[in-house]
Parts: sequence; structure tokens; C-alpha cells
Amino acid sequence: MAKYEVTKLLDVRGEVCPVPDVETKRALKDMKSGEILCVWIDYPMSKERIPETVKSLGHEVLEIEEVGPSEWKIYIKVK
Amino acid sequence: MVWTGLLVGILFGIILQRGRICFNSAYRDVLLFKDNYLLKFYTFTVGLQAILLVVFAKLKVLVLNPAPFNPIGNTIGAYIFGLGMVLAGGCASGVTYRIGEGMTTSWLAGLSFGLTAAAVQGGVLSFLREGITKFNVFAYHTSGIYMHSSGATLADVFKIDPLLMAIIFAAALWIYTFATKTTKRETKMDWRLAGVLLSALSVFAWWTSSHARRIYGLGITGGWVNIMNVLTTKAKVNWIGAEVLGIIIGAAISAVAGKEFKLRMPKNPITYVQVMIGGALMGLGAVLAGGCNIGHSLTGVPLMAISSIVSTIFFILGNWTMAWILFGRK
Repeated sequence: MAKYEVTKLLDVRGEVCPVPDVETKRALKDMKSGEILCVWIDYPMSKERIPETVKSLGHEVLEIEEVGPSEWKIYIKVK
Repeated sequence: MVWTGLLVGILFGIILQRGRICFNSAYRDVLLFKDNYLLKFYTFTVGLQAILLVVFAKLKVLVLNPAPFNPIGNTIGAYIFGLGMVLAGGCASGVTYRIGEGMTTSWLAGLSFGLTAAAVQGGVLSFLREGITKFNVFAYHTSGIYMHSSGATLADVFKIDPLLMAIIFAAALWIYTFATKTTKRETKMDWRLAGVLLSALSVFAWWTSSHARRIYGLGITGGWVNIMNVLTTKAKVNWIGAEVLGIIIGAAISAVAGKEFKLRMPKNPITYVQVMIGGALMGLGAVLAGGCNIGHSLTGVPLMAISSIVSTIFFILGNWTMAWILFGRK
């Protein structure tokens, strides 16, 4: 399971739009370069929007892993 | 002909769910995430609908019915609606289609929205609506394209033919749509496809709704009011009530088929309080404004109705205010 050295896990399942997006942005701001953030979501729109927002901020999306029915983990490497 | 409302609703629900069409996101993403994906969908479909509606009206298939301008409802009411949609986690259409996806916060937001809208429309709070309706400004049309007594449109303001006005309006929107950069997004339904499907549905909705003696196109608020009345009085389901039920059914079918249905619950239960306050503000604002983001922004703006254009501006201002308060600050 330990695919990546996850520095921080952000569980935003069930949160109202756009809380997952905003929490992701806030978490990334506090992290150091090279660290890995894992965002755990269950809303399909977040899966589509968060990677694009993150990329536009210059971070790297390592993987979007499907971990269950309508559940995903997005692995992000901080720039 | 009430069943046609259910059919339109189911199709609308599928498009909303697949296209992830939420105006709360469309307005807000531009401010918070510099993401214009949904805004592009919006400007594209508004332009297309503007031309289609006038063409079908000229062919005498439809009679257009822009809402009368109300200087208080279309500003203060719309602003309250804009504040509410951010708290509720979705606009009127966003909350409604997410009910079908199993978003439990939307169940409460929707109930609160419907209940408050019914209270302001014909219940204990109806004095608010009656007080404001007095300020309605009507325009009198003789062209046969618009209802004789309805609201002014851009064509009235500039005193030119509605079709020419629609072409100019669409051209301006499409220059923005296609000449500026669009945020990428991996979606199940491309925004251009969603825009074309929704524009076609909009015309079909207007035509079927007119046959059920409701001279308007897609909407949400009136449907919620009808559902609340049906649940609590002997009122019968009307076209728009059936349409709202259809949206929930269509979104549920689409979510299940796409393996996206899930009962989603927030970890912090205070979120339920937040979305109910949001829903109540939306219900109050939408009835005072004479429509929500679907009745005004998606249907009224293509009619080029002044009431809908002003309302949409104030929806956005309210949305940005609350988005900044909740999410924008460091």
C-alpha cells in the first residue's frame, strides 16, 4: 500500500463543494517542497477539478487512485 | 401534459449530473481557482439559446415571456440568493441534482430551500413578496414574439429587432467563449456538448411547458414550491413540480449508471446547519428575485430580459461575497 511516502493525508470525504478544493490549497501552502499530499475524496467533480487547480499552481499530480466506489486518492508532490 | 415536465426533468437531471453543471461553481471558480470551465459552458449555451428562442418565436412555435424588472427583487433578493448558494454548497440546480447523487447535505439544503420558497410564495412570509411585487416594471410588446405584458429585453432598450439583438448578444458571448483560454478538465461530458444538449432541451422545455399553460422554460424554484404545496395541501403536481422531481430521478439514474452514487456525509455535523441556513436564504432570495439561477440565469438571460441580467449580476456579487468570507481569506 505504501506506494508513496505520504507526508500528509487530507480526508475530505463528504464535504460540501468546494471545501475539498479549498482545504487542498490550504494544505499545500503549509507544506515543503518535495513532500507528498494525499487528498482523499468521494465527489467526482473534485476528482476532475482538483488536479487541474493543483497543476496550475505548479505542483505535480503523481496519481489519481480509485480506492472504492466513488472514492479516490489524489497524490500530489509539492513543487 | 404534466408528464412532459417529468420527461424534461429527467433529461435535465442527466445533463446536469454528467456536465457537473452548478452555477455556484461557475460563478465562484473564476474568483477562487481562476477556473473558467463552467463559465465557458454558460456563456456558450446562453448565446445559442438566445438565437434559438427568438427563431422559434418568429416561427410562432413559442411565445417568449421575459420576467418583469423589479428594482428591489432583482437586486436585494438576488444578492441574498447568491449569499445562500455558497452556504448551501450549490445553486438551485446544483442542490437539486446532488440530491439524486446521494449528497445528504443537499437533501437538507433542498428541503430548506423549498420550504422557505413556499413560505415566501404563498405562506406566512408572502407579505414580503407582495410588498416587492408592487415595484414590478412591465413592458408592453406588440410584435407577437414576446407576451403582450412581460418584461423589457435588450431588444426593447436598443429598439432593434429581437433576432438581430440575439445575434449581437450571442456574438459577444461567443467571442469571450472561443477567443479566450478555457481551463482544462477531465469530464464525462464536454462543456460544448453539454451546452448544445441543454440549449435544445431549453427550447423543448419551453414548448412542452407552454402546452401545460405555463409560459416559461426551464426553472427550479417554482417546482420546489409546487412540491411543498402538494405534500402539505391538496394541490396537484404541475409541470414545473414534475420537472424538479424529474431532475432528481434523472441525476440518480445517471449517478448510479456512472458508479457515482454514494451517500455522502460530512464529518462535522455543523455543516448540516450551514446548508440549511443557505437553503433558507436561497428560498427567500429566489422568490423575491422572481427566479433562481435556472429561471433567471439559464433561461431569462437568453431571453435578454433586463430582470434576469440584473439578477444574474447580483447572484454573482452575493456568491463572491460569501465565497470570499468562507474561503477567500488566508
